[in-house]
Amino acid sequence: MSSTPVAPPPSAPPPAPPPKDTFTVSFDGKAIEVPKNLNLIDAAKLAGVDIPHFCYHPRLSVVGQCRMCLVEIEGMPKIQAACTVPLKDGLSVKTTTDKVKNARAATMEFLLINHPLDCPICDQAGECTLQDNSFGYGNQLSRFDEAKRQYPTFDRTMIGPHVVADMTRCIQCTRCIRFTHEIAGTSELTFLDRGGRTLVWTHEGQPLANDWSGCAADVCPVGALTTREFRFRSRVWYLQKTPSVCPGCNVGCNISIESRDDVVYRFLPRLNPTVNDYWLCDYGRFLSEPLNDRDVHKATVREGSAVREATVPAAVDRIAREIRSSLEGKGPGAVFFLGSAHLSNEENFLLRKIADHVGSPNRDAIVDKSRPRKVKSKTVWVEGDDAGANHQGAKDMGLSPGAGGHGLDAVIAGKASPEVILIADAAFSAIADDPEKVAALRRARFLAVAARNANALTRAADVVLPAASLAEKEGTFTNVQGRVQKFDRAFLPKPPIRAAWEHLLLLALALGFGDRSWTPHDLLRQIAAEVPDYAGIKEEELEGGRLLKKGDFAWAGRP
Amino acid sequence: MEKVLTARIGKKDSRSIDTYLADGGYTGVKRVLTSGMTPEQVIEEVKKANVRGRGGAGFSAGVKWGFLPKDTKGKPIYLFCNADESEPGTFKDRLLMENDPHQLIEGMILASYAIRCRNAYIYIRGEFYDGARILERAIGEAYAKGYLGEKILGSRFSLDITVHRGAGAYICGEETGLIESIEGKRGQPRIKPPFPAVSGAFAAPTIVNNVETLCCVKHVIDRGAEWFLKIGRNEKNAGPKLFCISGHVNRPGVYEAAMGLPLKDLIFGAEYAQGMKGGKKIKAVIPGGASAPMLTAAEIDDCPLDFDGVAAKGSMLGSAAIVVINEDACIVDVAKNLSKFFSHESCGQCTPCREGTPWLYKVLTRIEAGQGRMEDIDLLARICNQMANGMTICVFADAAIAPPLSSVTKFRAEYEHHVTQKRCLVGARAAELVTV
Repeated sequence: MSSTPVAPPPSAPPPAPPPKDTFTVSFDGKAIEVPKNLNLIDAAKLAGVDIPHFCYHPRLSVVGQCRMCLVEIEGMPKIQAACTVPLKDGLSVKTTTDKVKNARAATMEFLLINHPLDCPICDQAGECTLQDNSFGYGNQLSRFDEAKRQYPTFDRTMIGPHVVADMTRCIQCTRCIRFTHEIAGTSELTFLDRGGRTLVWTHEGQPLANDWSGCAADVCPVGALTTREFRFRSRVWYLQKTPSVCPGCNVGCNISIESRDDVVYRFLPRLNPTVNDYWLCDYGRFLSEPLNDRDVHKATVREGSAVREATVPAAVDRIAREIRSSLEGKGPGAVFFLGSAHLSNEENFLLRKIADHVGSPNRDAIVDKSRPRKVKSKTVWVEGDDAGANHQGAKDMGLSPGAGGHGLDAVIAGKASPEVILIADAAFSAIADDPEKVAALRRARFLAVAARNANALTRAADVVLPAASLAEKEGTFTNVQGRVQKFDRAFLPKPPIRAAWEHLLLLALALGFGDRSWTPHDLLRQIAAEVPDYAGIKEEELEGGRLLKKGDFAWAGRP
Repeated sequence: MEKVLTARIGKKDSRSIDTYLADGGYTGVKRVLTSGMTPEQVIEEVKKANVRGRGGAGFSAGVKWGFLPKDTKGKPIYLFCNADESEPGTFKDRLLMENDPHQLIEGMILASYAIRCRNAYIYIRGEFYDGARILERAIGEAYAKGYLGEKILGSRFSLDITVHRGAGAYICGEETGLIESIEGKRGQPRIKPPFPAVSGAFAAPTIVNNVETLCCVKHVIDRGAEWFLKIGRNEKNAGPKLFCISGHVNRPGVYEAAMGLPLKDLIFGAEYAQGMKGGKKIKAVIPGGASAPMLTAAEIDDCPLDFDGVAAKGSMLGSAAIVVINEDACIVDVAKNLSKFFSHESCGQCTPCREGTPWLYKVLTRIEAGQGRMEDIDLLARICNQMANGMTICVFADAAIAPPLSSVTKFRAEYEHHVTQKRCLVGARAAELVTV
């Protein structure tokens, strides 16, 4: 065939340009291309223009009633609520005119005349949209000289197991009402009465008791809805925000661990449209409190009938010694390794590497089943029923019995009787607190566990290593969608407590492999090189793609 | 002028279908359904007559009908008759419904035919219990005689009318508030666009027309647009009109006259309100219900009562509820009373209205009680000015500011007197201090 280019016949019309999937919209004279399906407020954000608002929320229906997002639109004589203006090509928005400034100041004045201004005792202070917008767009002085509205019997009241309502602070934006209607689908909240007496409450005194009730407090831009668990516990500006992943189940909701002086004060949902969007279930949210619990502070070693405190290296040496002696006496089949759905991919991976190193096919990781937990992503509900965040990852890392090896069931049933059992997480299952099953494990000559809290298993063990909590370590989990998600360390564990991966690395070194300088980052690189399904995973991409840097991300309360 | 809308009112058994038929009722329906007149022709006739909405906004009914989409994508079209008459000072629709219900039903049948509506609703104010009962009985009669139901008069046109009673909210007279209420939701106005004609009740195209407007439709079809346009001051403000006059006049009530009746004639005319009670002087006139700015005694000279005539005076005809206030009334008290109403009736969704209406009421109460300060007077005006003109979803706030803003502007001396002397300024001296 000839490759000579042929000129198109002169009569052919020029090819039509591909249809645009964006609009050209200008904000204060600056034109920008924005996706067609955006709300004007979000489009403005792309242009770097902040349009203050209260009632608008990207995942809730638009009601246009707080009247804070007022802007001028070229060609429209009256001022417009930005959230209600449909985007179209050529729209010209003005956000800095006197008319706009006056209108916003007017709305701020109206919002504040009946607000108690009790910021000094309000938990929302510091992350309150009313405070911020008042500072940015309000007037310093109030011209209101009448008695403020009161809501006897509707102030400081528990309206559900977690949420405390105080209607004196409410600005009637209806975000919480829309959350219960449109996201939770449970519709507990509603407007009562009308006009200046309008208030948000539950129907007929029924409780606000859905699985995500804490999110109603998240979406509340002011301190009208707060959670019982966090009330009066800390000023929010003292809290350090650490991007993490909820340990509650295998949905793997993205959270922000909010801590101060090595104490976790709360979890907040961290925006990830593909997993939990702006939401977090109450079960996961309130796991923040147990995260501070600890009764294993030091390593202990049993000698005869006595249990003595020991240094971590000495305790690890003891484990290594027992493993080596078993290997010499009975061969690799005499050692059993148990990972956990609560441990990171890196920790489970390192445990499997140790098993490989000693040549034992006896390895396992199990998970308890919980009642189904679910959360609404931007598009669909994501469901999980594992009582641990990372069973998928533990299996992916190779923690299932190898050829000729045995799993945990066989050990408990007595079909296999390993001499040495190493359990990397004492809280791996309810089995660990079941006396009969612990007795079955105890049949081994030597039993070692890493633990944060004491249970039947730690009381039975020969060696107990003090293990770090989720807040005290970093790593990755793999959720029910197969999504590898990174969590950061909020603070260092108090010595001699160490993360399980540190204990395991010490053990690996004592057994003669590994490198003292390895960190979870190195282990993730090894996973990427060695685990086929994880080939090519890069930590930077996990971080850059979905997880943002510490302290620099939106949380659900402030979209 | 020959009575049109109220021609049958006062006659014996005017509510019954027998007397209605004897007076030539339902001939319009018969003619339209049997002559092959198309819906488009009906719309065209109503458009030509320029029947402006009698509920308050004065928007042409025919033009409104023309906003309906040509293709409704399988959705029904609804006609809602707005009978939620609750503007203070207004009592004309009640008169029409309670005394001549078939006139309204016939108007609704014609309008429904024009817009291809199969199910029409009358949203009637909850307090109008009698009106609802009378309408239901009349609708029953119309079904029995074959003017409602399946295949009316053997044509292919079917229509059901349902009476829906409101639950006591002024805001449900706002058309999107009314739609929310009919849907079973809390009565609060919607964001527009989309307008109801495109997406109204249950997201289907919906037309909301006032009782009097629909009654006018019946007469336009009976007698033609030409006839309708000849009544009134000009073609933009045409047709028969009901005026509700109340306050300090000798004979308050509903009077029918041609659009453009001079306001002074309504107050002083022998066939209308017959002058001021006790021969007192006029202090102020509210020409279009509580939502309309007050006019001073000087402003009512040469004020034709039609949409454009009252607008030229800086107020509005609204629902044609004329409230006459004499020299003995304290204007601060009047403004306070009206503000109380608006503060009570605000739906509460938009911040400026929810917070602004009680604020106005509180300040006015304080001034009226002799606890006002000079700066309160300017404060009132400032609060008003930051509530209206796009600050809210609907025009309720624009209505709510009318009494305080117009009174503060025009009767400022009375407010100042209240602040300095701690009592009302009434009588002859007050009139001298009016600023127009």
